[in-house]
Amino acid sequence: MRKALLTLLVILTFGAFGQDVEGTFIGTRILNGHSVETLKKGALEFKIMHRFGDIAGPDGGVQQFFGFDNAADIRFAFEYGITDKIMVGIGRSKGTGAPYRSLVDGFIKYRFLTQNKERGIPFTMALLGASTITYMKASDDSTSVQSFPKFAHRLAYVTQLHIARKFGERVSIALIPTYVHRNFVAQNDVNGLFALGGGFNFTFTKEMGMLFEYYHVFSEPGLRPDNFNSLSAGFEYTTNGHNFKIVWTNARGFNETQFIPYTYSDWTLGQFRLGFSISRTF
Amino acid sequence: MIKILLLFFIGLVSTFILISFSSDEGKLEPHVPGEFSLEALLMQLGDEELNHSIGTYDSAKAKLGEELIINGRTVYEGKLSKKISKHFVCTDCHNLTREFENLASESPKDRLEYAKKNNLNYLQGSTFYGIYNRTSFFNGDYLKKYGEMTLNARDTLENAIQLCSKYCSSGRYLKDWELEAMMHYFKKNDLKMSDFDFSDADLEIIRDAGSNTEKENAEFAKKLKSKYRQSYSATFLKPIQRDDRKYGEGGDVQNGEAIYEISCLSCHAYKRVTYLSLDKGKLSADMFWRNIRNYSDKSLYQIVRYGTHSKFGRRQYMPLFTKEKMSDEQLNDLVAYIKQLAGK
Repeated sequence: MRKALLTLLVILTFGAFGQDVEGTFIGTRILNGHSVETLKKGALEFKIMHRFGDIAGPDGGVQQFFGFDNAADIRFAFEYGITDKIMVGIGRSKGTGAPYRSLVDGFIKYRFLTQNKERGIPFTMALLGASTITYMKASDDSTSVQSFPKFAHRLAYVTQLHIARKFGERVSIALIPTYVHRNFVAQNDVNGLFALGGGFNFTFTKEMGMLFEYYHVFSEPGLRPDNFNSLSAGFEYTTNGHNFKIVWTNARGFNETQFIPYTYSDWTLGQFRLGFSISRTF
Repeated sequence: MIKILLLFFIGLVSTFILISFSSDEGKLEPHVPGEFSLEALLMQLGDEELNHSIGTYDSAKAKLGEELIINGRTVYEGKLSKKISKHFVCTDCHNLTREFENLASESPKDRLEYAKKNNLNYLQGSTFYGIYNRTSFFNGDYLKKYGEMTLNARDTLENAIQLCSKYCSSGRYLKDWELEAMMHYFKKNDLKMSDFDFSDADLEIIRDAGSNTEKENAEFAKKLKSKYRQSYSATFLKPIQRDDRKYGEGGDVQNGEAIYEISCLSCHAYKRVTYLSLDKGKLSADMFWRNIRNYSDKSLYQIVRYGTHSKFGRRQYMPLFTKEKMSDEQLNDLVAYIKQLAGK
C-alpha cells in the first residue's frame, strides 16, 4: 500500500512517461470558467476579458445597440506558469454590480494528472482554488449584501475538480464539480453552493474551435428564486502566443465566485450578451 | 499518509542539498591512448596553435560548461547561476555529438543519414562536437543576419560563443567563468585521434613526428586537416517561388517523416521550446498544407528558409535552416510527408 502510494506520488509529481495528451482545451479558460489546462513553466499570460450588455430583452435591443453600449464586466489579469503543471493568476474585474463591483481575484491551479494512453490514464485532471475580494464601498443599508459588517464578508472562494478527456484530435469534454463558498449572502441564499460544470470543445482546425460551457447550480427549492444557470457558447482562434474568444453567454460576471452564484439573466428572454477574451502569452 | 508525504519531502530536499554541495575537485585529465587530441597531434607536427587554445581541460570546469550548455545554468560557488537565456538552451539548436560519418563532409544528405542512424536531432546549428578544432564561425550568410557583429566572432571561438549567447539565444553575455567553463567543455569534446581512420603509414608518420622533416610533418598536417572541417558553410536561401515549388511531388515520404520527427518536433512537440504545438496528427498537417502555397510563417517553404525573428515581447524565435542544414530536396521530402499526413 505504502509502495503504491509512493509510486503514485512520484508519478503525480514528476510524471510524464509515454505520450501525454496535450491541448485538451486550447486555453486556460473554457469560456467564462477555467479549463483543465495550465500554462507552461515560465509563461506569463496577459488577459483582457470583456462582456457587453444584453443583446435583447428590456435592457438590450437597438436602443442599447444590442448591448454594445454597455459593459457588463471587464477583467484584466496576469497569469503565470510556475511549473508545467502549476499556475497562478491575479486579476481585477469591474464587477457587474449585481451584487458586487471592484473585485480582485487570485487563483492557483494544479494539473495533477494528464491523459496518457500508454499509462492507461483516461483523463486529465486539475484542482483549482480561487478567491475573490471586493473592495467596493460598503452600503449603509444593513439589509444589503453590500453592507459587509465584517471585512471577511467581502471574500468568496471556489474549489473545483476538473476532469477532462480528449477524444481523438478534435473533441474534448470536461466535467467540473465545483464548490463555491461566499462569506456573506442574502437571507434567501446559502453560503455554500455545489455546482457541476460541463465543457465541450470541437476543434475545426489547428487554429479554430467551438466551445460550450454550462454550470448547473444545486440549491434547495425556494432559495435563490431569481438565479439562472450560466450557459455559454463561443468560438476561439489561436495563434502562436495569442488566443481570441468570442462568447455568447447569459452570465454577466467573471470568476467562478460571481458567474456561478450570481447569474440573473435568462437566455429565453434575450438576456444574453456578446463578449470577448484575448490572451497574450509572453 | 502525512508521514509518507513528509518522508518524501525530506528525501527530496536532502537530494537537492547533496547535489548542491557535491562538487568535483578540478584536475587535469590525463591523455589516454586513442583519446589523444587532434590539437596535440597537430602541435607535434609543428602546426600553428589555435588562437583559442587552452591546451588541456579541467574536468570540473568542463562539467560546469556541460551543465550551462544543457540547462542554461549551473551551481557555481554554491549558488545557482542566472539563466543564460530565458528562451533557449544551446542544445535546442546544437547537438553535442558527432554529426557526420565523414568529418570532412557538410552535405545535408550525409548529416541527415547520420542523424537518423544515431537517433540525433536534425537542427539548425552545427554540432558542438569538434567546435574546438574549427577556426571560423558564423560563416557565409550569417553576416546578413548579424551584420558587423559577426566580424569579431568569425575567427575567435570565445567571441562566437558570446554572440550566440547574447543574440542567437536572446539571452545575455556570458560571465568570464561561464565562458571559461564552456571552453573547457569544448576542449574536452574536441576531435581525437580515435575519430579518424589512420593507415599504418599514417601512424608511422605520427609516431615519428619528432624525427620527420618539417616538410613531411607539414604535409601530413595538411592531409589531416582535409579529413575534418575547420568551418561550416552557411548559405541562406529564399523561399522557393510559389510556381516553382514541387509540393512534395517525387519526395521521399519516409525521409520527410524523419525530418518532421527529429527536426520540427524536436522543438514543437509539447510546446517544448515554442508556443506552437505540433504533433503527428491531421490537424497539424492540415495547417501546413492549407498554407503551403503562401508566403507566410505557416508555409513550410517560408518558415524553413526565413525562420522567425526575435522581437519585443517575443524574444523567442525560430532560427532559419541554411541550405547546408536542410536541402531543398529534404524540404520537398518534408512537404511530401505533410501532404500524406493531411490526406491530400
